[in-house]
Amino acid sequence: MDSNNIEQLLEKYWNCETSLEEEQQLHIFFRDGSIPDSMKDAAELFRFFEIEKNKSLKENFETTVTKELRQRQGGKIISMVSFANIARIAAGILVVVVATYFVRQEVRKAYPQEAQDTYTDPQMAFEETKKALLMISNSFGKAKKEAGKMKMFNDAEKKIQTKQSPEKARI
Amino acid sequence: MNLETFQNRVFPVKNKLFRFAFRLLGSHEEAKDVVQEVFIKVWNGREQLEEIQNMEAWCMRITKNLSLDRLRQQQRRPTDSIEKGLHVQNETQSPHDTAEMTESMKHVGELMALLPERQRQVMHLRDIEGYSYNEIVEILEIDMSQVKVNLFRARNAVRERLQKINAYGL
Repeated sequence: MDSNNIEQLLEKYWNCETSLEEEQQLHIFFRDGSIPDSMKDAAELFRFFEIEKNKSLKENFETTVTKELRQRQGGKIISMVSFANIARIAAGILVVVVATYFVRQEVRKAYPQEAQDTYTDPQMAFEETKKALLMISNSFGKAKKEAGKMKMFNDAEKKIQTKQSPEKARI
Repeated sequence: MNLETFQNRVFPVKNKLFRFAFRLLGSHEEAKDVVQEVFIKVWNGREQLEEIQNMEAWCMRITKNLSLDRLRQQQRRPTDSIEKGLHVQNETQSPHDTAEMTESMKHVGELMALLPERQRQVMHLRDIEGYSYNEIVEILEIDMSQVKVNLFRARNAVRERLQKINAYGL
C-alpha cells in the first residue's frame, strides 16, 4: 500500500472513521513498511500498540488457577451439604417454637387464670379480710354523712321553691 | 460444565484479561490477582455460561469491575505520577520488550497512562485488543456515542502530545 493511501487511512483513523480491517492495515504497515518522517508520530503509537499486545501471563499461571479451581470444586460441594443440614435443623427448631407458642395461647384461652391464695394462716386471712371490710364500711359511713348534708340542702331548696310558687301565682 | 471444557473455553482469554487489568491497575501482581479472581467467579457461575452469548466480553466486563473495585478500595489511581507508571511498566517487561521499547515508545505509554480512565479503557480495547465498537459497548456498559467520543479524544490527545514531544522535545 502506498504512502498516500496510508495517509488517508491515518486521517480516517484520527477521526475514528476506520473499520477494524482498515486499522489492521495500518498495524501491518507500521510493523513492516518503511516509514516516512511525516508519519513518525503515528509509527511510534502503532509500535507501542504492537508491543503491548504481546504482553502475557507466565505459563505457570494456568497450573496455579487450575489447582485453585479444583480445590474450590470440592469445597463448594461440602459447603452446600453442610448448609443444607444447618437449614434443616433451623427449620425443625422454628416449627417446634411456633407450635409451642400457639398451643400455649390456646391453653390460656381455654383455662382462664383463677385467684390464688395470698395467706396460709386462716386466722390471719380472717383478720385481714375484717380489716379490709371495716375500711370499706368506714368509707361508706363517711360518704353517707356527706350525702346527708346534701339531702338537707335539697330539702331546704324544695321548701323555698314551694313557698315562692303561690306568691308567683298571685302576681 | 467440567474443568476441561472450562479450560478450553475460558483460559484462552487470560492474556487479554491480564492486559486490561494491568492497564487499569498499573501493577503486574494486582492484574494477575484480578485475572485469577475472574476465573474463580466464572467457575463458580459456570451453570450460567451456556446462557452467555459473548463469553469473552463478559469476562472482560468482570475484569473491569473487579479492577475498578480494587482501585476504589485502595483509593488511588495508577496515573498518580508518571514516574510510578513507568516504574511499574518496566517491572512487567521481559528483556526482549525492554530492548524494543525505545525512548519514544516510553513516551507513548506515559501519555496513555495520563489519559482519563474512560479514554484509556476505550483506547486499550480498540487499539490494543482490536474489539469492535459493539463489543466495547458491551464490556464497558456505556453507549456507542460515549465509546466514539472517548476514543476520538484519546487518540487526538495522544497525537497532539506526541507531536509536541517530537517537535519541541516537550
